[in-house]
Amino acid sequence: MSGLDDILRRHRVVICAGSGGVGKTTTAASLAVYAALSGRRTMVMTIDPAKRLADALGVQTLGGISSAVTVEEIPRGMLAAMMLDQKGAWDELVERHAPSAETRDRILKNRFYQHLSQSFAGSQEYMAIEQLAELHASGLYDLIVVDTPPTRHALDFLEAPQRIADFLDRRVVKWFVRPYFSAGWATMRLVNRTAGFLFRRLEDATGISALVEVSDFFNSMSGLFEEFEPRVRRVYELLRSPHTAFVLVATPEEQVLREAEYFCRKVRELDMSLRAVVFNRTHREMAAGRRRVDPEQVAAVVRRLVDSAPVARGLAENFQRYELLGRGDGLRIESFRRVLPKGVSVAEVPNFTADVHSVSDLRNMHPFLFAA
Amino acid sequence: MTPLRGSLLDRRLLIIAGKGGVGKTTIACALGLVAAQAGKRTLLAEVDGAGRAAWLLGIEPAPVGEAKEARPSLSVMSVDGSASLAEYLEIIVPVKRVLQAVLSSRIYQYFVAAAPGLKELMTIGKIWYEAERSDDGRRRWDLVIFDAPATGHSLQYLRMPHAAHEAFGAGLVGRESQRIVDLLTDPRRTAISLVTTAEEMPVNETLEMHRQIRGDLHVPLGVLFVNRVHHCDFVASDVDGAAMRLEDLPDSLQRTIAEEAVSRGREEAGWSAINRTYLDQLRQQIDMPLVEIPFAFTEEFGTTQVQDIAATIAPVVTRPARRTHADVRS
Repeated sequence: MSGLDDILRRHRVVICAGSGGVGKTTTAASLAVYAALSGRRTMVMTIDPAKRLADALGVQTLGGISSAVTVEEIPRGMLAAMMLDQKGAWDELVERHAPSAETRDRILKNRFYQHLSQSFAGSQEYMAIEQLAELHASGLYDLIVVDTPPTRHALDFLEAPQRIADFLDRRVVKWFVRPYFSAGWATMRLVNRTAGFLFRRLEDATGISALVEVSDFFNSMSGLFEEFEPRVRRVYELLRSPHTAFVLVATPEEQVLREAEYFCRKVRELDMSLRAVVFNRTHREMAAGRRRVDPEQVAAVVRRLVDSAPVARGLAENFQRYELLGRGDGLRIESFRRVLPKGVSVAEVPNFTADVHSVSDLRNMHPFLFAA
Repeated sequence: MTPLRGSLLDRRLLIIAGKGGVGKTTIACALGLVAAQAGKRTLLAEVDGAGRAAWLLGIEPAPVGEAKEARPSLSVMSVDGSASLAEYLEIIVPVKRVLQAVLSSRIYQYFVAAAPGLKELMTIGKIWYEAERSDDGRRRWDLVIFDAPATGHSLQYLRMPHAAHEAFGAGLVGRESQRIVDLLTDPRRTAISLVTTAEEMPVNETLEMHRQIRGDLHVPLGVLFVNRVHHCDFVASDVDGAAMRLEDLPDSLQRTIAEEAVSRGREEAGWSAINRTYLDQLRQQIDMPLVEIPFAFTEEFGTTQVQDIAATIAPVVTRPARRTHADVRS
């Protein structure tokens, strides 16, 4: 089993995945800082960092790449950070790939497109992966660490490219660019009663008042679709490449672990390689096995450190409470480890009190991430 | 101005919203327990289909769209947009054969997956349907609790009926959307409660969400639940004092225990201070009744802990609400 430092050294792309609210952003940033300190040109792609963390990494604007963060501890030019713009993901896709300014404007103004780009899940995830592929191809970095978008289910990230590819499936899209579509559902009804009825209902339900708009959208987009399939294929190739490692980030909570387990299975099914699991916000039990720590002994020891009786009582009680948390976390992590495939390394990071804001905060995580 | 009567539980629809991972489902379950105890026939509806609420209440989740009793007077249901759309079509397409043809067509499935806002509209429509539903002239539920998805997404749910109404005006769906909007914005029938923890990111998201609900959604505000609050009887300087005397102890098990006691004390004092800071900020910037829910020190979080939370929030949610300008229809 190789540790996280080994994993950082041997891969060119490290993707931090996990359900929302488990500390992915911080973990990704901390890994990147470590790699930069050990002399690799590193890029960290973050999604939604707390403002002060973004400042610490030197990223100010959405979509902007910070030109090499100058942080005291880190050698010049070793660490760059980039913050993904979650909102304009589709717009960016259109801007980038539209064959002409005219087509671009037509798409951006299309009402169907506007609805779609706001609500179609997976576009942010897809854009994150596409940007990753681009940065990777640029060869500017030895290592790219990726923080993934906050989804409830960690899997969304892996499935997004396929879902988009399915959505833009040319066989289906062709359907929408046939002439009778452009004429609206009245013509459509003549062609197929069921479909005609259905579309009227769907129009009612969705607010797309005429199929003309839908058809127009697909017509304008068709140029973009041509390249889509090969792009999605390339993206999956990168995700499956031996240079890419997945790091699952989790907290030792029942629900999070249930999803994490599913994620591990799925990653294997997709032929991607899960190399490490990082548990954030963990507590450790002091008692070993069945031998519990005697509460009276704790009370007596604490009494020797503190003069005030209420404070001593508070500290002793607090000790026991954390002992409970530690026992629970320990049991859950242990049973999770049992189902992990061999060779996946595990790191446990304690529950840091302060919000993580600075590069030195990120460095505080290192002893735990890179412990033996 | 509509004078506000009764407590939070006297509404017909309670929406629970907040950032991912702050404990929305837990709070929704606790509210469900309080309501059921008060004798209200309650439905707890959750989206996303993970069945979290059912698990927390100690039952196996039922298939999507089916209500399953978790306690006397408390049922749980997983709501899903595509299933709700099928159900809706069943009502408006009376012929089974045609319906089957529609549901199994590829185009239909394609559209359900991709049509903008359709899932959200159908989900919120289903919630509305359950909240207003009568069987044999008797209301099926006294109260529906909607455990909404994480912040950004739940705002989309709440926005959809309004958007749909704008889009079709007088059509069938337009009229139905208007009825949903009426329910969502009626302070006698609906309230949205927010859940957060007292930490930087969740608090920022809560402030932003509060602003949007106030500013353009006009859903009446209920209670702000602050989850997992640490509160200890000692402060950081007490712990520092103790740490200075660590060296007096012999290097032994005693010393190890003492060091651990100090580090755990430091963690707890730290969280307490952070929580206090953000609680102050919430109190200053959000004019909703605020309930603090203490952090549960437990080996395993389950039904017992949900019951404890129910006991904590019961006095506030059953007390006649104080009137704030948020409660007044704009």
